[in-house]
Amino acid sequence: MQELRDLARKLFQERKIDALLGYECDRRGVRPAFVKAADECDRLIFDQRCVHNLAAYLSPRRSHVVALGRLAVVIKSCDARAVAGLIRENQLKREDVVLIGVRCGGVVLNPDEPGELESRNTAPRCVGCEQREPALADHIVGEPKTAPAGNQDRDARLSEIESMNLDERLGLWVDLLSRCTRCHACRQVCPMCFCERCVADKTLPAWIESSPHSRGNFAWHLTRALHLAGRCVDCGECERACPAEIPLGLLNRKAARIVSARYGYTVTDDPSKPAPIGTYRLDDGQEFME
Amino acid sequence: MSKRRFLSKPDLGPFVLDLIGSGARVIAPVRRLERGRDFIEYRQVRDPNDIVLGGPLPVRPLKEIVFPPTETLFRWRQAKSLIEIEESPTSFEETVIVGATPCDAAALEIVDHVMGWDYKDELWFGRRQATAVLAVACTQCDESCFCTAVGLSPQSTRGADWFLTPSKEGFEIEVLTPKGELLLERHDTRCPEASGSPAARASQVADKVQANLKMQPGKIRSWLERHFEDPLWKDIALRCHGCGACAFSCPACHCFDIMDEPEGMEGGSRRRNWDACQPALFTLHGSGHNPRKDQTARFRQRIMHKFNIYPARFGEVLCSGCGRCIRVCAAGMDLIGILSEIGHRAEEAESAL
Amino acid sequence: MGFEPKIVAFVCNWCTYTGADLAGTSRIAMAPNVRIIRLPCTGRIDTLFILKAFERGADGVIVSGCHPADCHYTSGNYHARRRFAVFRELMEFVGIDPLRVTFSWVSASEGGKWAEVVNRATEQVRRLGPFETYPRAGRRVSYERRQDGENAKVRKEYL
Repeated sequence: MQELRDLARKLFQERKIDALLGYECDRRGVRPAFVKAADECDRLIFDQRCVHNLAAYLSPRRSHVVALGRLAVVIKSCDARAVAGLIRENQLKREDVVLIGVRCGGVVLNPDEPGELESRNTAPRCVGCEQREPALADHIVGEPKTAPAGNQDRDARLSEIESMNLDERLGLWVDLLSRCTRCHACRQVCPMCFCERCVADKTLPAWIESSPHSRGNFAWHLTRALHLAGRCVDCGECERACPAEIPLGLLNRKAARIVSARYGYTVTDDPSKPAPIGTYRLDDGQEFME
Repeated sequence: MSKRRFLSKPDLGPFVLDLIGSGARVIAPVRRLERGRDFIEYRQVRDPNDIVLGGPLPVRPLKEIVFPPTETLFRWRQAKSLIEIEESPTSFEETVIVGATPCDAAALEIVDHVMGWDYKDELWFGRRQATAVLAVACTQCDESCFCTAVGLSPQSTRGADWFLTPSKEGFEIEVLTPKGELLLERHDTRCPEASGSPAARASQVADKVQANLKMQPGKIRSWLERHFEDPLWKDIALRCHGCGACAFSCPACHCFDIMDEPEGMEGGSRRRNWDACQPALFTLHGSGHNPRKDQTARFRQRIMHKFNIYPARFGEVLCSGCGRCIRVCAAGMDLIGILSEIGHRAEEAESAL
Repeated sequence: MGFEPKIVAFVCNWCTYTGADLAGTSRIAMAPNVRIIRLPCTGRIDTLFILKAFERGADGVIVSGCHPADCHYTSGNYHARRRFAVFRELMEFVGIDPLRVTFSWVSASEGGKWAEVVNRATEQVRRLGPFETYPRAGRRVSYERRQDGENAKVRKEYL
């Protein structure tokens, strides 16, 4: 942490940045922090409660963040994939942001979690993570960490759904999605949902009805899953943010599986690798076409 | 008829079955398992064993029952130039809420002001009329509760038709309203008169809640009134994602959107859906201009509406201190922290005079 | 009395629409259940169209366009191919039967093929029956007690 604070202070003193986005302690646990001067850098921390994906704040749509000026951002290796996505899709120029990579051995799911990191409270996104520090970074701070201890099978529920028949699946999804109140928290916290005008907000015609009934909710969640196919970085923020406790990650991870199986693509923190939707190959599979 | 009654623990289940048997829809906090965690939510119950009383706050607010997330206002059928309107029913299923929390019950009364203000909302009041609220005193709280700061408490009886205070053997019932009396008449035998002196209302919970936040709403209001352009708003709002999860979890938030939707080819329905002031779309004009163009303006609006504008018009804050906004926020926005900060600034401003 | 499926076909103007026209002028007999919607290119076909068709009462959907390398706009169908491939599997994951949605390449000269696609799709959907379980009504499940989570059977009253 001291390393992080010293680096932050140095960046301010050398006028390399106008503001820094990291984490700080608050009344209950940990939250994102915007630091604007060298003497505020002691607020910065990094520990197992730093689950938030700060790349979400880099969207150009957040004019009040853009107005701060040149930003430095503290990122874990999972967050770096989102930053890479923003760069890849021309929402951010690499040289406009200073990336402070932090060594990470896993985080807990709940930023107010008082306990130590152990396998029972490790965030699902950490399970199986093999990248201890981001490759996409200007600086790396933190002590070396070991791999996260979680051993949950992240895709157990996914496989369970795939073993159901179609009627059961439809019944399950109508059920799960019926809790959705269309608050769009999933969209707002997602770094890859940066559209100035989301298709769900379009009326005349309303392709995706904004009403939180099963018809509208189906259209919304299926469309979002498709729009994120190959782009979702699997940070789990949408699931964490959902006030209705809907397991949104299932849809996104299914889409990721499809894209991986068909196009050999897994999300990466290398911005130069093109994403699979929006590109094509002449020999793409078409066995499902007549 | 005595207003103090007693419902023993063994009688709770049969009482609920009686309610169901009399044709009422019974809604109560139940436990649900999802994503490896269990949480409490208000649901219709058919089996009294599912009911969890005295547990943590249900994750979704009680307002869903009188103000559904989506509601049809009317339907129309159209054949060439002939249009038929089918009004939505304005009589509602009799509902009894067994185990409402005091903050949720109070919030219903707080919102009554605006729903009956310049236009009496038949749907809100129709459902309120058909719903009996049996509130239960809180026996636990956490660091996000602050009902005492907004003039309520873990034992507040506002909004309740019956108020239940738990004791070792069951619940002491205080019947508070004519609707409550009618309910008692029907279930007189299950709820005999209470004997002895009233159960001591647990004050440790209230003490803990008070420790979370002490606030003087009047001072907050005057600070807000005079500090619309304060740089504090910029700092607070940086973290906010503008998602509206707070508004959708709040028992007092009541903004809505009206949408017309076609159904099939011959008609459609006009619906009222929940809406929140936090996404940009809320104030986006057809011209493309947005008077609240960034999150700073939008977050400020939330605090202003709840703690300045609503009390100016209706005499009380649009908040019952349940703390859901704090618990649900993915970005760590903390209303207790914000109100506390504003309180300090209000004090400083006062002592500077 | 049989069930007559309602099928909506989203087709590209340059190939399949022309091919369908050829089928008509050649007097090839085919099932009358398909309503054709013409678009400039399969690349324009948003997956929302498919969902919208089901929302509004279709029992089946056909999506058809130019063969790869023959797209009038050069690459529209390549983009579409990827999009359809992913969405089809997503729909299946969510419980929408993939047999209800037919994807095909039909060129302007393949009137016969269009008739085959139409007849096959109609038969397939006829065998599956009406798509009653798609959430069509604007209902919202609220407070109904269900079995906890998984394996809940489809409840018609919610749809």
